[in-house]
Amino acid sequence: MDTALAGLAARIREASERGTALRLRGGGSKDFYGGTPRGELLDTRAYAGIVAHEPTELVVTARCGTPLSELESALAANGQMLAFEPPHFGPGATVGGCVAAGLSGPRRAAAGALRDYVLGAKLVDGRGRVLRFGGTVMKNVAGYDVSRLLAGALGTLGLIAEISLKLFPRPGAELTLRLEMPEERALESLNRWAGQPLPISASAWNDGDLGVRLSGADSALRAAAERIGGERVEGGEAERFWSGIREHTIGFFGGDAPLWRLAVRSSAAPIELPGERLIEWGGALRWVRTRADAAAVRAAAAAAGGHATLFRAADKSAGAFTPLDPVAMRLHRNLKAAFDPAGILNPGRMYPEF
Amino acid sequence: MNKAREFDQSVVAELKALLGDRVSTSAAVREHHGKDESYFPCAPPDAVVFARSTEEVRDVVNICRRHRVPMIPFGVGTSLEGHVLATRGGVSIDMSQMNQVLAVHEEDLDAVVQPGVTRKQLNEHIKHTGLFFPVDPGADATLGGMAATRASGTNAVRYGTMRENVLALEVVLADGRVIRTSRRAKKSAAGYDLTRLFVGSEGTLGIITEVSLRLYPVQEAMSAAVCAFDSVDGCTRTVIQTIQAGIPVARCDLVCEKTIDAINRYKKTGYRVAPTLFFEFHGSQASVVEQAEAVQAIAKDNGGMDFEWATRPEDRNRLWDARHSAYFACLQLRPGARAVSTDVCVPISRLADCVHETMEDVKSYIVPVPVLGHVGDGNFHLVFLVDPAKPQEIELAKQFNSRLVARALAMEGTCTGEHGIGFGKMASLRSELGEAVDVMGDIKRALDPENLMNPGKVVAL
Repeated sequence: MDTALAGLAARIREASERGTALRLRGGGSKDFYGGTPRGELLDTRAYAGIVAHEPTELVVTARCGTPLSELESALAANGQMLAFEPPHFGPGATVGGCVAAGLSGPRRAAAGALRDYVLGAKLVDGRGRVLRFGGTVMKNVAGYDVSRLLAGALGTLGLIAEISLKLFPRPGAELTLRLEMPEERALESLNRWAGQPLPISASAWNDGDLGVRLSGADSALRAAAERIGGERVEGGEAERFWSGIREHTIGFFGGDAPLWRLAVRSSAAPIELPGERLIEWGGALRWVRTRADAAAVRAAAAAAGGHATLFRAADKSAGAFTPLDPVAMRLHRNLKAAFDPAGILNPGRMYPEF
Repeated sequence: MNKAREFDQSVVAELKALLGDRVSTSAAVREHHGKDESYFPCAPPDAVVFARSTEEVRDVVNICRRHRVPMIPFGVGTSLEGHVLATRGGVSIDMSQMNQVLAVHEEDLDAVVQPGVTRKQLNEHIKHTGLFFPVDPGADATLGGMAATRASGTNAVRYGTMRENVLALEVVLADGRVIRTSRRAKKSAAGYDLTRLFVGSEGTLGIITEVSLRLYPVQEAMSAAVCAFDSVDGCTRTVIQTIQAGIPVARCDLVCEKTIDAINRYKKTGYRVAPTLFFEFHGSQASVVEQAEAVQAIAKDNGGMDFEWATRPEDRNRLWDARHSAYFACLQLRPGARAVSTDVCVPISRLADCVHETMEDVKSYIVPVPVLGHVGDGNFHLVFLVDPAKPQEIELAKQFNSRLVARALAMEGTCTGEHGIGFGKMASLRSELGEAVDVMGDIKRALDPENLMNPGKVVAL
């Protein structure tokens, strides 16, 4: 076994024997996300590098400490990409942190979520055992789908040491349209278009402006652009716009009002909360900057068929994630105990209870 | 395989008090629920119940739990690795009467169904909406069973399998509680992704009582084509080059000449008896033409003939109906035979080698061995036709399969791309994953501490 990996596994094994909590961390670009974990720092960046990337296979395997930017550059050099467009939220983002956070970017509604691209994982569990789940093939029904359970588990089930991800070829062409329309009409249009075979790969509405990105072959883009209307946005400006949405660098995401992320039915009516709103994913993701209290935000999300996450805020005492009902909480605790019986991995990062 | 305990007949009385005549202990009904499409001998449950609601399933679970009786959910029994066999007795919970499409949300591109709805029934139900559900295993399986086994079909390359297309589940847990894994929102759930855990858990972690599924718009153009080749190697090379060229082919299936012959006899079709690829292209009119021309050129280079086209919906349906019948058609090649069917999946770049070496290996088997599969995703099947009365034939087929699994694992593949573990592949699972299977055992214990949910499948406790 690689010495860096053996070192990580030994640290976890010792910690489990002593009952010492560990805080798993790559570049720390997503420290703001979720609750504040307790424990000694375990830096995952020592175990880094792309293990295998056979471009013709459309699969890559990388170690947890690999910088996400390094991985994406290597893929781009071969005309490929991570289709779920994960946000980096900082130059230090690592592959392990990306998968543990489970966040997807603008292409999510068209291409699927991060977890849909996870083919396999090498995991160090809470006892320090190095285990492999899934693999590198497209279809695999060999037992429980553990590798996908790790996506978004925020490191609470184990340290994701290596991950195999399915890749996509980069689209031949892209084109962005801007349409002026109020929120209701934007939602109505996005939902109507989603039911049609249009090559929409991203959408973002804010303050009366709707941006729609199309990806695919030139001929298909031209036909779709005619059907959708609006004005074309020049290439460089379009790229900056989508990067700003993905990385939260545009004006909307600045300021100090708490930022909430509501995952809802795409057809849900506008969320009636005080504060500014930004819509992505064809209506299924609603960002709200609001000082409304947590109960009101969570009630609004539930009424729209979803749930709300307190994404960025100075005060997260209301809990980052929607509290679980007692049955789901017990299930979570039992699952957590199956992977991490000593409860040492990232306690408090997901829920205060574990 | 011994029964864990004697069956307590008072369970039947309690079940009858709950469900009346929807409880059966007749030999015929029990035998029907004690087998699937595999070669394993029938292992009948002690009783069969026909549930009509989540509440009834919950009440049945509570009765079984109090009496420590195993419970096995049953759809239409089309699994291939003994998933639904009552190897330790107990109660088979037949879900086929829970067959209502509960809601179709055209705007949100989703549908909510009871677990007994079959894939064809759902597509018939939503035909008028311009939407469709893509996952299509050979059998007209129930969507509950498909979710439970993480089923896939001919569309996996383009639309994914059940694991990408199940949005949320309602599940009755071993302790009789009912949970929903997610709300209607399809974009991520709070907490762990329990949906992914239950999809493919083969009834061992809970009983699925409702399924929310992702739907897709019917494409502007959908064209299917059949292409005959002079060799199976030519087929696999064509598939590999097509995938590697990034051509977004929607379906791409291989059938060998023995399978084509079987289909022709079974469905009265007139396909040329040769190794054949079945293709389907989805997209705009222009892109479908582009894709098809590119693939035709690749096929020509690899010994393929001219495409035969099916563009009208009824012609396409007939073509894929023929392809879907392949398994049953192959069974007829040797009347009375059962099938030991293999299911490895390997990286695309190793597919040609794996198929080639395997076909060389099986030349010595007692009867011709059909090969078929979805290949575009690296997955293919051999169908060993065995006389169920001759254990030595089954043993021989299993030896071929063991060598095939070892070959696939050496090529970084998996022992099962779509059929699942059931109890037939538990040893293969251990060779593939080693100690990781112990963690699966811990997960099973975490959700079903008394080991009553389809016990003896996937992981042994």
